[in-house]
Amino acid sequence: MTAATDQGKRRRRTLLGPGALVGAAMVVFAVLVWTGSAPAQTKPVSTGPVDIQAGQILYNGHCASCHGIGGVGSKGPELLNVGPAAVDFFLSTGRMPLASPNLEPQPHTPYFNPAQIADIVAYINALDVEHGTPGPGILEVTPACTNETSDCPTLSEGDQLFLLNCAQCHDASGAGGMLSHGYVVPSLRQATETQIAEAIRVGPRPMPNFGPGQLTNQQVSAIADYMYNLSHTRDPGGLGIANFGPVPEGFVGVIFGLGVLLLVARLIGNRG
Amino acid sequence: MAENPMVEDRTAEGPVAETGTAAEQLPRVFTGTHDNLDGADGHTPWPDDVPAGQDDTWYPLRDDPWKARRMEYIIAAFWGITAVCGIGLMIVYWTGGQAQYEGALLLLAFASLGTGLVLWARYLLPGHDITASRGHHVSDPEERAAIVESLSRGTEAILSRRGFLVKKVLVPVGGIFGIAALWPLASLGTRPGDALYHTKWYPGARLVTEDGNALHVDDVMVDGLLTVFPEGYIDDASSGAVVLNIGGAPIQARRGQADFEVVSGANGIVAFSKICTHAGCAVSLFNVLTMQLICPCHQSTFNILQDCSPVFGPASRPLPQLPLLVDAEGYLIARSDFIEPVGPGFWNRSGD
Amino acid sequence: MSTMAERSAARKRAKLEQQALDWADDRLGSSKWLRSALDKIFPDHWSFMVGEIAMYCFVILLATGIYLALFYNASSAVVVYHGPYKALDGQSMTEAYASVINISFSVRAGLVMRQAHHWAALIFMAAITFHMGRIFFTGAFRRPREINWIIGVTLLLVSMLEGFSGYSLPDDLLSGSGLRVVFSIIQSIPLIGPWLAFNLWGGAFPGSGAFFERLFLIHEFLFPLLLAGLLGGHLAILWHQKHTDFAGPGKTEHNIVGSRLWPQYTIKSTALLTFVAAVIFGLGGLVQINPIWVFGPYEAARSSAGTQPDWYVGWLDGAMRLWPHWEFRSFGHEIANPFFPGILLPGIVFTFIYAWPWLDKRLYADYGEHNLLDRPRDKPLRTALGVAALFFFVDLTLASATDVIGNGLQISFERLIEILQYGSFIGPIVGGLVAYRVCILLQGGKVHPIQRPVGGIITRDARGAYHTLGADHGGNGHGGNGHGGNGHDGNGHDGNGHDGNGHDGHGEDEPLERVAVGHGDPGGGNGASAALGGDGLGSPGTFGTGTLGEATSGGGGDPAPAE
Repeated sequence: MTAATDQGKRRRRTLLGPGALVGAAMVVFAVLVWTGSAPAQTKPVSTGPVDIQAGQILYNGHCASCHGIGGVGSKGPELLNVGPAAVDFFLSTGRMPLASPNLEPQPHTPYFNPAQIADIVAYINALDVEHGTPGPGILEVTPACTNETSDCPTLSEGDQLFLLNCAQCHDASGAGGMLSHGYVVPSLRQATETQIAEAIRVGPRPMPNFGPGQLTNQQVSAIADYMYNLSHTRDPGGLGIANFGPVPEGFVGVIFGLGVLLLVARLIGNRG
Repeated sequence: MAENPMVEDRTAEGPVAETGTAAEQLPRVFTGTHDNLDGADGHTPWPDDVPAGQDDTWYPLRDDPWKARRMEYIIAAFWGITAVCGIGLMIVYWTGGQAQYEGALLLLAFASLGTGLVLWARYLLPGHDITASRGHHVSDPEERAAIVESLSRGTEAILSRRGFLVKKVLVPVGGIFGIAALWPLASLGTRPGDALYHTKWYPGARLVTEDGNALHVDDVMVDGLLTVFPEGYIDDASSGAVVLNIGGAPIQARRGQADFEVVSGANGIVAFSKICTHAGCAVSLFNVLTMQLICPCHQSTFNILQDCSPVFGPASRPLPQLPLLVDAEGYLIARSDFIEPVGPGFWNRSGD
Repeated sequence: MSTMAERSAARKRAKLEQQALDWADDRLGSSKWLRSALDKIFPDHWSFMVGEIAMYCFVILLATGIYLALFYNASSAVVVYHGPYKALDGQSMTEAYASVINISFSVRAGLVMRQAHHWAALIFMAAITFHMGRIFFTGAFRRPREINWIIGVTLLLVSMLEGFSGYSLPDDLLSGSGLRVVFSIIQSIPLIGPWLAFNLWGGAFPGSGAFFERLFLIHEFLFPLLLAGLLGGHLAILWHQKHTDFAGPGKTEHNIVGSRLWPQYTIKSTALLTFVAAVIFGLGGLVQINPIWVFGPYEAARSSAGTQPDWYVGWLDGAMRLWPHWEFRSFGHEIANPFFPGILLPGIVFTFIYAWPWLDKRLYADYGEHNLLDRPRDKPLRTALGVAALFFFVDLTLASATDVIGNGLQISFERLIEILQYGSFIGPIVGGLVAYRVCILLQGGKVHPIQRPVGGIITRDARGAYHTLGADHGGNGHGGNGHGGNGHDGNGHDGNGHDGNGHDGHGEDEPLERVAVGHGDPGGGNGASAALGGDGLGSPGTFGTGTLGEATSGGGGDPAPAE
């Protein structure tokens, strides 16, 4: 079905943990070098003391009130095993900092600039490493094939994985949806590839998470790349009208389409 | 008051009441036939209904040749736009086609064609506001009597002897032959048999992803889910299942299903049929905060920790649970098929 | 003012026309019928054109449909896609799906044709629904037009099924989910459900390899044939009975006022066709619809948020979402939940709709013939029921979009569904009551433009002073084309023998009274209210001032004698 099955079924054993991540990445890299696609690796996080220090200052000023000094948690959850991806995701989508721990994190304009975010990520990562439980790293999402004429198995693989694992909540077009209890599923169409990849690994609640045993780095990268591509490609059919499918289409057809024709009828016919 | 014999005036006193409501409450009943709808002879419409000497050749600009010619030029200009758009369409097509240009040019072409036509009809062509008689769309009384004669010529003969041939012979024969003629329609499909009672899950079937990779018991993270199929039957329509890791959360299973879950360390692995028990869509929206599975089609919501029972929406039966085991190499396998039919209900569906 | 050359050319043309028509008449005897056809009158009110809009949508659906049928492949055989749309490259899909992707990306103008076809279907259904509403609210279904109502409702039903089968042909995730739901609905029918579902699909879902061929046959051949036949009958009956019209100056139950078929109505109708084409093809190229490449090919394990049917099936999907989770199980048998909103509800709804002309007759005890239309306010009860039904269907249609609306308005779907569940009966009750009141209010209000007289009515008050009421030259009714009376400017002589005010010599009130009762068909409250001047010509008693010639009858609304 997918390009992967052309290789025949392979059974991989995966274990959680940083070593496994690197190991998996190496295996995946080896395989993908074969097929000619680019590998999916995690971005290195700064370990420089200056960055960590700057991050600590920012953290203490904006985050510690809920997440506790040193990330041990208080009103908010502890951050000792979340990993760089989580921190980067929540900060770069503006979900954090949160005004009150009772609020639901919502996508927002980011409070910090990218350099500040990187610093905070460095600080939390240092805490995680010290604690011995670093969580998912920030995936380096490789762009899909730029050559227009050649085949692009990555994009296709991302499409299939997205439709099977993500579309039921986020809509096949990525426009978003609804969960129970009023949790709104956000649109993915403004997200960066990195943010999508981070969310898949992190599983910002109420979203489930997808570990390396469920989706490999290469698969996560493919999904992120596919959705980014989809959101930034002009809709071939014209105006996308919210990309939500039959609902906006029905509105346009009935109210606009018939409405214009009723107006035409009024101009052609009699009013009295 | 009108001496119209057709109208049975139910009002107590002369004219009917003032408001429409009251009038509605005291309806007039039309009791007559068609015959005296019109004039005394019942055939011709009222002469007064059709004004005499209507001018059938009149149009608004008939008496103003200068304006008429100007209107002609305006119409010609609109139709010129149509022609230009036509050429544009040919060019767009020739250079490979582009949906938005095609749409815009078609819109403009048709709209200007239509505008020209409307102006033409409205200002330069006759036939406005003519009054004519509706005439009679029903037949004369003589014809209505005559047709009964023609019809009964046949029906009397056909139904002679109390309709022996028709009622006692032809109808049963027709029924029998009709059934015989329609019988082949059954070949359109297969009989359901026990197709609705089983999926492709078999004892010992490994849970595999759509890629064909078997799932190890540690593969799914806590608060994670994955779509799986029985090994060898990937993408089978009735066999799709979601496997979830609920961690240490206690699950309240139905009687006899408590051991369907696989507990391994911090992992609590459960698997449910992905086919909604309401109308068959794939259920896999996972709300981690409320531990619910939701179907996107009609918003049926299933409480995972309570045997995947429906708690909201039109579904009325829980998602069937797949009994799981771990094999010697640590891979997740099914102990057997689901113990009840998956998917929507049907007449013979026994069990819960 | 023609020149001699023009006159001679006209003579030559007339001779040629005579020869051509004689040729036809020698073989077909067509002159009489053809003449009556060319002379046929069609009333011009704009709301009468909505049925035509639907008809022209059908024409465009046929044209674009034939084009698509040349490229569509109704096969369930699995192929691997290699084509311009990179995201699908290498994926397995049915040939049906692949062929529609092909149409969208590899066939020139294919995407416009495909999208225009789909937009045309949406507008087609909207026009049918609006047209049906117009027929309902104006009472055009009354005798002798009951048969046409039956045909029309059947057209509605078949069109719905035609649309559903059409958008299910591409075998994409969205429409495939719809097919899965319909399979489950049929499966839930007591006794025969599973057998019938397996029979139609050729086996267990997703059906046999021949399923799409079957669906294609139904969509491309069986239903269009049925639709064309029904439409032909619909038009033939309309042609024979002649179109209805609103009451107004100069209009009676026995005449018809409007445009001649030739050349006026032909050209105007052709213009309407071009505008329908303009809107459909404009949308077809400029606004995206049903992007099946985004949904991907249908797989039973996949689903998407925002899974709704096309809008005209939305009320059924909404009913599925709103219906409580009742199922009935006993003695080893069960009636599954989808049966009630999926089979029972539409069955009851359509039974009501089909039966309406006869229910209306009973409601108003009016079994008479009507060629003149009601205004909605003239029949408050019928209007209220219609508005209630509208509220019901809108509520159900909104219910099919709960997740999309919830996402947009940030409301939980639990709350939305609850609101819409209550709304499904509160809405119609409230809407019906309000509509009823509004009708009564409007009846007691001022003159409706349709029946406002052209010219003035002179009344005399208690002190003897003369007042002019409603002096309105070139009014909206008859004179809507910018000229008053029967086609001439409101001031001049119009050659019909009418006076300069545009009066038609009979008096404005007379047609109304004839409408009311003069010809023996009171039409329930219509005539009475019209004749009474609740919306007629001022308060009773004004007629007695003698300005309106022989038609006045003194006292408000005495029916004119029928002669």
